[in-house]
Amino acid sequence: MSLYIEKLSVLYKENSHAIQALEEVSLELYSGKCLSIIGESGSGKTTLALACLGLLPKNASIEGEIRLNGRPVDYDDEKSLNELRWAEISIVFQNGAANLNPVHRIIDQVAEPLIHRKSIGHAEAISSAAKILGEFGLGHNECNRFPQQLSGGQIQRALLAMALITDPDVLILDEPTCGLDALTKGMVANIIRETKYKNKAVLLITHDLEFAERNSDVVAMLYLGQIMETLPSKDLFHSPMHPYTMAMVRSYPAMNTSRDLGGMRGDAFYRTMHQHGHKKGTLYRHTHIQSPGYEHESGHAPSTGCIFQNRCTQAVDVCRLEPVALEIIGDHEVRCVRHGIVDILSLKGVEKKYGDVVALNSTSITIKAGEVFSLVGETGSGKTTLAMIAAGVLKPENGKRVFEGKDMDEWIRSDYESFSRKTGVVFQNPAEAISHRFTVFEAVAEPLRIHGLFNNNDELNKKVTEALGYVHLSTDTAFLGRYPHELNMGALQRVSIARALVLKPSLLIADEPTSSLDPSVQAKVIKLLLELQTELGLSMLFVTHDIGLARKISDRIGVMLSGRLVEIGPASLIIECPAHPYTRLLIESVSGISPDFPKSNFVVRSNNGCPFTERCNRAKDVCKHKNPSLIGIEERFVACHYPLISEKL
Amino acid sequence: MNIRFKKGLFKDHWFTIGFFLAVFFAALTLFGPALSPFDPWDMSFEPISPPTADHILGVNDGGQDIFSELLYAIRNTVVFGIISGLVALGLGVLIGLVAGWSGGFIDIILMRISDVFLAVPVIMVLILIAALFQPAPLFLALILAGFMWPTISKTIRAQTLSTREAGHIRAAQQMGGSSWYIIHRHLMPEIFPLYLIGFAAKCRMAVFMEASLAFLGLFDPSRKSLGMMISYAIKYYYLDIWWNWLLPPIACLSLLIMTVTFLAISLEKVLDPRLKDTLKESTA
Repeated sequence: MSLYIEKLSVLYKENSHAIQALEEVSLELYSGKCLSIIGESGSGKTTLALACLGLLPKNASIEGEIRLNGRPVDYDDEKSLNELRWAEISIVFQNGAANLNPVHRIIDQVAEPLIHRKSIGHAEAISSAAKILGEFGLGHNECNRFPQQLSGGQIQRALLAMALITDPDVLILDEPTCGLDALTKGMVANIIRETKYKNKAVLLITHDLEFAERNSDVVAMLYLGQIMETLPSKDLFHSPMHPYTMAMVRSYPAMNTSRDLGGMRGDAFYRTMHQHGHKKGTLYRHTHIQSPGYEHESGHAPSTGCIFQNRCTQAVDVCRLEPVALEIIGDHEVRCVRHGIVDILSLKGVEKKYGDVVALNSTSITIKAGEVFSLVGETGSGKTTLAMIAAGVLKPENGKRVFEGKDMDEWIRSDYESFSRKTGVVFQNPAEAISHRFTVFEAVAEPLRIHGLFNNNDELNKKVTEALGYVHLSTDTAFLGRYPHELNMGALQRVSIARALVLKPSLLIADEPTSSLDPSVQAKVIKLLLELQTELGLSMLFVTHDIGLARKISDRIGVMLSGRLVEIGPASLIIECPAHPYTRLLIESVSGISPDFPKSNFVVRSNNGCPFTERCNRAKDVCKHKNPSLIGIEERFVACHYPLISEKL
Repeated sequence: MNIRFKKGLFKDHWFTIGFFLAVFFAALTLFGPALSPFDPWDMSFEPISPPTADHILGVNDGGQDIFSELLYAIRNTVVFGIISGLVALGLGVLIGLVAGWSGGFIDIILMRISDVFLAVPVIMVLILIAALFQPAPLFLALILAGFMWPTISKTIRAQTLSTREAGHIRAAQQMGGSSWYIIHRHLMPEIFPLYLIGFAAKCRMAVFMEASLAFLGLFDPSRKSLGMMISYAIKYYYLDIWWNWLLPPIACLSLLIMTVTFLAISLEKVLDPRLKDTLKESTA
């Protein structure tokens, strides 16, 4: 074990209070491995790096222990610290040029650690420095220049050379790719690989998620000084377990994500310990909103319980009670009372028949908290049926429904009223879904009236105004008194969204909410839905026939075909390389390409075969007789005997 | 229901005419006895005399003042028509809504019952009852209502069946609205025009029916009614009395029916915000 950090807490003391930069962070970094620390700005990443080298400023108070190669680091002994630095552990600092001395040549600065730490002669040191700089693509000319004469990328290379010249056991990279061109980034990746290969340890501090995923073995998510989740980097994009990790992934513009950037609700905080006047000596913990424009009052958000609760998509009352400890779940370590991201809704084997017509064969889907799940498929494929079963409007013949961990059928039977507060539905045609006898105010107030969730008219007005505010609609009296036929479709659909959200549901079900709108209005409504989804931390089930639209908004996509789910998985994967021929047909048709599939004749199918057989150009005999079941390929599931995915690999 | 309700109403000529006619008849109904110059049962005047300054519509064959008689007759007819119409409407709406909303077995039972009532010839039943029991006019009005509801409930049920599938009602169900809430807030306003049409039609029918029964002499002969007056006046049509004796009750009967119809037409327009706008444009 190269680097071992145990319960490290760092406080930066200021006059009357202290800023909590790290709180009980424990990490283990093994030789030959790379550990990434990912977090928002201000989450304590750099403090952690500096603490490893004993470089924290004087006003920092440190608790806990750091052990390097088995020996504890003694922060008070400056001499032994100096011996450690560069000999055993070295760092590449953030913002390149500022870390170099402008009056010395690059090569001298790179050679400096060798001369001072390893007591190597000047000439020999210079020649090693030239060698390593040459490896990093800095020739004789560049080596003899001053820092200000080099470009940002060259400086980063010089810093890397300086960190590696003494051949340390632990290399710390603080935002090594920040502001770098793609090729230098590639070089940094190479260096990490080589360093690992030499059985050294790398601590990578970054907010570049894709870089971390590809180059590290383990990822630790840091939020406000606490580790929220530690996970194998392969799970970072497709199966994070903490809502914070998921929010970070959704905010990151990775090359293979197709949906619009989601972001994270709320704003960043910083945490302080206050020494109150009347109780001298006792420290109180507070959390403040960092960004300007907020009142100090609202900044005192959570002082007990999980520190992520007010930005979390699944926070419940329990989260407010007490601080949360890390818990080991499989390969992950997760700091969440609810044991990681929960399932809002899970449908297991639900079926629906209308007389003899099977609208929905046995289907299972799961919607996680804070996720946008899209159902796509041609008309009549059972999308709306499935969505309405999820909404509790339709009752399936078979199967089990679980909503927020409770048996949904039982819940609906015993207390539909309380269940209906949990789901909001946006219907396809707002002109039909809102009574033409209701004004805008009445329409939005309707759920509140049904549930009697207001005490007086002022409260009702306030709630209606707030809901209309979500959807950026006017709240003046003239607008509130308008009738649906006096509004355009876009405004009307937004009224309908406001109505669905006025009860603050945890699941929003949108059934083709934009199919009656023109593209410009659709764009507005979709952006609004996504913004609300992020800001209110909703989960969303989105039904559409437009896979192009689903691509822009969903985290996961389920593709439906004649009452069956034929492909289900992360949106990026399904759009990039569809495994089911039907999915490919949908993707091609949406852009107007005429498909190279056999002409469909929609003959009556036998119950056994794959429903796509007649239209499929890959169909073999087995497709006519045996209905494929869902099989897992990579991160997705597909129901096809001859999936397309093998071609891609 | 509608914020610009009152303003919208008087922009509509149908409503204005209907409203003033209704006020006129309401005043006559309420203050008729006070307005009448003579006791209509007083037979002391000279029979079949043409109008004079005292008797502005003259005197009938029984020596009674026709004008006073007309005021009392209007009162009786209006009360009979409204009571009968309202009760029929109430029964029809209730049964229609229950049948349409609950569907299934209840629907079948209620609709078969209404079929039975529809098959019975009302006038015959009323003649029989009136002749055999000589019941009070109010009782006859109720019996008439008991035969008039099925047509209302049939239309209300049909409309309920189609309206219950409407998007906003499904939305309200999803939101957790109770049956009562949905019927009260969504269904009843949606089928409101049908009430008005039903009520207008049934009032008209009741007024006719009352006139017919009176014309046939099935009410107490001393009870004043428009039908009875027409019936008596018809006997003397060869005299030159049609304009002062026959015309007034016929005109009143027609105006009464027109009042109800005008009000129904205009209210339907005004209460539906969508129709109201087209109305505004057409009358602007």
